Amino acid sequence: MKRSPWISHYNASSCNGCDLEILACLTPRYDVERLGIVLRESPRHADILLVSGVVNMQNKDRLKRVYGQMAKDKYVIAIGACGISGGPFHEGWNMAGPVDKVIPVDMYVPGCPPRPESIINAIAKLLEGLE
Amino acid sequence: MHDYTMPFGPQHPSLKEPINLALELDGNYITGVKMRFGYVHRGVEKIFEGKDVQKVLYVAERVCGICSYAHSSACTRAMEGILGLEAPTRVKLLRTIVAELERLHSHILWAGFGLHEIGFQSMFMLFWRERERVLDILEAITGGRVHHNYNKLGSVRYDLPKGCEELMRKNIAELEENLPGLIKEFEKNSVVLARFKKVGKISRKDAITYGLVGPMARGSGVKSDIRKIDPYEAYDDIRFNEILEEGGDAYARAKVRLTELGESISIIKQCMSLLPPKPAEKWKWPPIKTGEGFGRVEAPRGEDFHYYEIEDNIVTRGKIRTPTLANIMILEKMLIGAEIGDTPVIVASFDPCIGCMERTMVIDKGKKNWFTESEFRRKFCD
Repeated sequence: MKRSPWISHYNASSCNGCDLEILACLTPRYDVERLGIVLRESPRHADILLVSGVVNMQNKDRLKRVYGQMAKDKYVIAIGACGISGGPFHEGWNMAGPVDKVIPVDMYVPGCPPRPESIINAIAKLLEGLE
Repeated sequence: MHDYTMPFGPQHPSLKEPINLALELDGNYITGVKMRFGYVHRGVEKIFEGKDVQKVLYVAERVCGICSYAHSSACTRAMEGILGLEAPTRVKLLRTIVAELERLHSHILWAGFGLHEIGFQSMFMLFWRERERVLDILEAITGGRVHHNYNKLGSVRYDLPKGCEELMRKNIAELEENLPGLIKEFEKNSVVLARFKKVGKISRKDAITYGLVGPMARGSGVKSDIRKIDPYEAYDDIRFNEILEEGGDAYARAKVRLTELGESISIIKQCMSLLPPKPAEKWKWPPIKTGEGFGRVEAPRGEDFHYYEIEDNIVTRGKIRTPTLANIMILEKMLIGAEIGDTPVIVASFDPCIGCMERTMVIDKGKKNWFTESEFRRKFCD
């Protein structure tokens, strides 16, 4: 885990912007695999869960379930302004609240959406903190 | 073989956004589909209400991350129509350039994503490498990679910064050099042909009946380009072709998107050559008015329609009809009878943008699972 974290990604009613930037981390310009970070589809394989977006009522139980599926020693990073505070959607009528109201969050990445560099930096910082 | 139901989503390797399809299977074939949505609904139209027109521009852009500029320009078009504003020529050309850059990045993103669905990872990476060049230009012009906040009512936020034109020329030349090779590979590769041809057929009649828009309709030979039907910004001064394909399958739709890349590049170049020297006039605050109006633009996925009612520049009602909302109705018909292995390709050939599509949501509370507008307001809004 300390050397090569596997990450998984859940879109909790985000507008897509953060998800694009997470995907962009994989591509040749940023290429997180050179740092040993692998994006896995299944949360069961993952050490770190990236959650983007403000959680709505439909998503709340799914997000809890996805979090529950992860093995022990799990960490959550909330990506983007929506994940931190709700962003422009905090007043939406069907919102269950930002990510930390639903599952415990270890790190926040600000931005709308954050740049791929800052997402990679957040993962690196998280690993630094573990040592 | 025993019939069973298989869930597809909301968290699935081939979906970048959460939807839930319950596929009823008979062996390898799909016999029924139950779709369940609402995972990305944020109530954007409700958030519009009670906001100033300038703030609404900001929220409208957050409907979707991929076609963010299309939403902002549809909103601008509607608002400018109500307030009676007309943007100067240079502003129109700048807006057209940004809109076409967005179409470039969205179609390249789709091409990479469609290839990712069939497991062609190296082409996915190559396409996405080209996408970064487009994002560089977008970032230089607007300051944002995904959300741009470029439009103001009657103007744009920034003019072209210093050195931007050289960057545009350089990156567009690189794109022109690299993209044809990738597109040729897409057209010739036997894996791509085997997975995309004759999958997800839509006849011309169905495309018209279901009211499809954008590349979905153009892949079946139906003319639907808003840039031609109802020209906006600078599109009536510019020469470009509407791309039509007759195949109606996933491959034809991919072909439409890939051919549009070349058209977009040519539009950007024409706009750059037409750019007049800087406009002298300063931006003024918009007038205060009451009225209603709509704006429609050609987003990368098709027609994007915004409708607003404003009262003294405060929005009292907003309605958005996004391209994926128009297209998603045919998904059930396409999936029934298809093989289970083709599901990701069929879903990808829509170029679905679920964040755009989630415009309504039904919450099951008690026996009744539908509400009239007044009941809805009483229950959730007050």
